[in-house]
Amino acid sequence: MRETNLHGLGDGLGAAPRWIVACLGANSIANLFALYLWNAAGQAFSIQSSSDGTSALSVTAMAGVALWLCLVVMRSFPSGAQLRPAWMLFGFAAAAQAVSGVLAQLLGSDWVLNPLLWTGHAQAGITGHIRLAALIAGGPVRLALLAAAMLLVLRILRKFGFWVKPSATDWAVCGIVCLFTLCRFAEVGAASLTGKQIGVEDWTSLAGLPLLCVLCLEAMLLRQSVVRMGNGPISKCWAAFVCGIFLTGLAELAIWLIPHYSRAPLAIVESLARFLMATIFALAPAYQLAAQRQAAKPASSLPQDLATGVPAVAR
Amino acid sequence: MHPSPAALLAFCDGEAGAGRSRRTANHLAKCERCRYQLRRIRSEKDELSAGAAMAAMDSRQGLAGVLSAIADWRSSPASAGASELRSRLRWQIETYFGSAAVSVVERPGMPAEELLGKASAMLDVFLGPAAAEAARDDVLGGLDSARWEARR
Repeated sequence: MRETNLHGLGDGLGAAPRWIVACLGANSIANLFALYLWNAAGQAFSIQSSSDGTSALSVTAMAGVALWLCLVVMRSFPSGAQLRPAWMLFGFAAAAQAVSGVLAQLLGSDWVLNPLLWTGHAQAGITGHIRLAALIAGGPVRLALLAAAMLLVLRILRKFGFWVKPSATDWAVCGIVCLFTLCRFAEVGAASLTGKQIGVEDWTSLAGLPLLCVLCLEAMLLRQSVVRMGNGPISKCWAAFVCGIFLTGLAELAIWLIPHYSRAPLAIVESLARFLMATIFALAPAYQLAAQRQAAKPASSLPQDLATGVPAVAR
Repeated sequence: MHPSPAALLAFCDGEAGAGRSRRTANHLAKCERCRYQLRRIRSEKDELSAGAAMAAMDSRQGLAGVLSAIADWRSSPASAGASELRSRLRWQIETYFGSAAVSVVERPGMPAEELLGKASAMLDVFLGPAAAEAARDDVLGGLDSARWEARR
């Protein structure tokens, strides 16, 4: 049973976390190099158009990787297993992000390879609807799926005793996210009172903010459980989700604040933040697979002391 | 800097604060020497708790009687097997979850069979049945398997 069920995981999957971190490093270097060039050229050209498309493609590709890894993890849990529904929801969340990327980049754009442009449907306003669908799938839908999955994980962790009251720092981080949500709603409310038109993108973003508050609360509880576990690959898997959620909140905050208070190029910041988030969400199933691969490794391949697991003093 | 034996003992008993536990757990993940120290502390604690259970022996036997009872207990295959099983289970929990998880899972004086059941359930839930079975095989390999299988 051991051989057959674990054979499908593939040998390279144990090293998936390292590959994903290497991708993140390469992408960050490329982005920072672009930023350096932009500064060196005296900010003479716009980097909005050049970085936006590549960023979305890399984020979509990383969401695709996360989806594939989630599916592999999900297959390792038979139906009836307690964590299977959670991994299924994490998979759906990754799928929502990947689909959102494909819709926005391929079908919802004016790209020459967009098949809708060939058939003439683009003029009928379909691309606008597709863009909206992409925004909803990659925003509120994805966050709702993540929140539901996290709730299931928290229940299981509580059952095994990994449940601790949140600390003051956790409450402070959550408070900041809630305050940010209130500020955004107040800003939109004030704008609509003055008769300013609110775009669909803004409404979609606003719809996701209460969900982000719920996710931050869940991430805060999960963080305490992870601290109570230690530093093994399973706790790293849940820690990746915690980091991903906190980064999502931080990125929303930064994207809102930058145009108000800074002249930093928003496109580069957004591109870096979105790719970082996608990478961290992909790291979670990668760590889970690394743990499973580690368990499946025959004891004979480990050093003698580790294989037996018996410290000298206990012998 | 390595944590002091007192800090390791507090960590082992789950009495260190959240921040200190996190720092100690992070250090333990990197430091083989401290992990060895922690295992030694746990092993000594087990021996002491087992010794306390035997304290009901007649005090008139004196020191010789105590020493002989300890020697008997150490040489008994059941006790050695339980101690070995406990060490292996702790190692598994540390490997997959982290050092701090051991103190959450294992209560002081918990029988090895109960620890095996709890660790198996955790591995089943978090690793999936196939990987958990492989991990269990590693734990039970070389032990008196018939005995432990019967108790699983």
